[in-house]
Amino acid sequence: MDDKTKRYEKIEFLGEGQFATVYKARDTLNGNIYAVKKIKLGTRQEAADGINRTALREIKLLQELHHPNIIGLVDVFGQRSNVSLVFDFMETDLEIVIKDTSIVLTPPHIKSYIIQTLKGLEYLHTHWILHRDMKPNNLLINHEGVLKVGDFGLAKFFGSPNRIYTHQVVTRWYRCPELLFGARNYGTGVDIWAVGCILAELLLRVPFLPGDTDLDQLSRIFQVLGTPSDVDWPNMKYLPDFVQFKSFPGTPLKEIFIAAPDDLLEVLKRMLAMDPQKRCTSTEALKMQYFSNKPAPTPGPQLPMPGSNKIVDKEKPSLKRKLQSETVGLAKRLIF
Amino acid sequence: MAGNFWQSSHYQQWLLDKQDLIRERQSDLKVLSEEDYQKIMIFFANFIQALGEQLKVRQQVIATATVYFKRFYARNSLKSIDPWLMAPTCIFLASKVEEFGVISNSRLVSTCQTVVKNKFSHAYPQEYPYRISNVLECEFYLLEMMDCCLVVYHPYRPLTQFVSDFSNTDDTILAVAWRIVNDSLRTDVCLLYPPYMIALAALHIACVIQQKDLKSWFAELSVDMDKILEITKQILKLYELWKNYDEKKEISAVLNNMPKARTSPTPPPNQGPSDGTQMSQTSQST
Repeated sequence: MDDKTKRYEKIEFLGEGQFATVYKARDTLNGNIYAVKKIKLGTRQEAADGINRTALREIKLLQELHHPNIIGLVDVFGQRSNVSLVFDFMETDLEIVIKDTSIVLTPPHIKSYIIQTLKGLEYLHTHWILHRDMKPNNLLINHEGVLKVGDFGLAKFFGSPNRIYTHQVVTRWYRCPELLFGARNYGTGVDIWAVGCILAELLLRVPFLPGDTDLDQLSRIFQVLGTPSDVDWPNMKYLPDFVQFKSFPGTPLKEIFIAAPDDLLEVLKRMLAMDPQKRCTSTEALKMQYFSNKPAPTPGPQLPMPGSNKIVDKEKPSLKRKLQSETVGLAKRLIF
Repeated sequence: MAGNFWQSSHYQQWLLDKQDLIRERQSDLKVLSEEDYQKIMIFFANFIQALGEQLKVRQQVIATATVYFKRFYARNSLKSIDPWLMAPTCIFLASKVEEFGVISNSRLVSTCQTVVKNKFSHAYPQEYPYRISNVLECEFYLLEMMDCCLVVYHPYRPLTQFVSDFSNTDDTILAVAWRIVNDSLRTDVCLLYPPYMIALAALHIACVIQQKDLKSWFAELSVDMDKILEITKQILKLYELWKNYDEKKEISAVLNNMPKARTSPTPPPNQGPSDGTQMSQTSQST
């Protein structure tokens, strides 16, 4: 273990998040390239907690998960509270692809990204794990166009009926209405809603529901998709933070996504169902017509890659991405 | 803990072969008899249980911590890291993994001091020597020696499923079997057999104790009954040992023979990584 710090040779800085710094590194034993995520030594108090909980969660879960569409944890090294995690190296992520205005996303591209996302998610959910932070930034893509779900810092086992969970999960723009209403007992629907938002974002090339506050998020959801009635979502009024919203009629999806075919709109509709009970599961989603209809999804190696590898973005990754500062060809990479 | 056992690290990496386990213990068994080795393991399982109860963690955390402890010493000599330090470290790591909540540093160490003083002074008459810095350092060795495999499956869940399969009303058989599963943590079975088999063995013993005839239910199972009987035998061997064994009187002599760590119990605080190197070399050279 002691030699591992030397074993992985830093090549370049890739990015910095709230909890960690990520480097591209070469394994001096076999020449392979990996991404090394070094957990930041936070406050004294955190250091005194031993191995960082977020890191521990990732280690714990990724050690049990092996799937082409789930990020692979290769190695762990360090000492004391100073932990580094070694991951598959991923060239880019879906956020960069979406923001790269030089890339044209065709319907087969979009289908390919969503299928891969759902396959990874289906695997997680059948293993009773909720990801709880699905967003384009956490969908990593390698040079062969394989998409892998990454960042398991918020992920958790689910299914114990008596356990309560925090509702402060999922980046706001991808957060489902039941979480925004303070649900403590939720399921796979939270991840599916987020995938619905990601699919919409792939079509629009801007975030679908960029709320400024939790309340603003809810009102955006209802303005676009319509305020649910008691019939649409009977249990809504029992949620801890429920507030009655103005009754918005909503806009038909067809009018928002003018170019999208009906089979795709059907997928969106099922993923963005207000009532989590009515939302589709990843398995159900994968069986929907859209995924077997033409056009076929683009094979991985033919998926577009962002041109520039340079790190332009120096801003701290906050929960809210700053749209106004969006620049052409922006390549912020692998921010965990 | 949920998930898929058959694809888990527990199933794929941490069901050990009995011969391998015996081979790994050779260096300790040169100094200790097999029975004394088992007595030491039982003793520290009791210590972990006492710490867990004092800290008011769930049984799930205690069970996971006990398995961590066993996994560590399945691959390392008792002299690599003092089990008096490893025991609270296992509780500390397990409470985080099982998302039990935070056990504060000061509370962990003060609990060790209290428990040793009040319940284990017959085995450890001095003051409990370790500090949180020792635990934090030890935590990483534990994680590493387990190859980062943290998710542990326990027999409790399959046990409740089996019991509800043949009866909705029989709580006594569940309670008896549940206690036998707790006891099984004092044997090697959690390192050798999948948890559902341990649950069946516990159920089997519970049926004999309660004189409940479940032969036809067992007959319909598609399991290797020889293995279930092996587990049963190991658990019964534990009860046999307990019959004529007074831990309070005898453990001190056994612990005296235990191979000791060469490092001093209280290294000065603020030691850098080099200190860690030393400790792990000690463990490798054994």
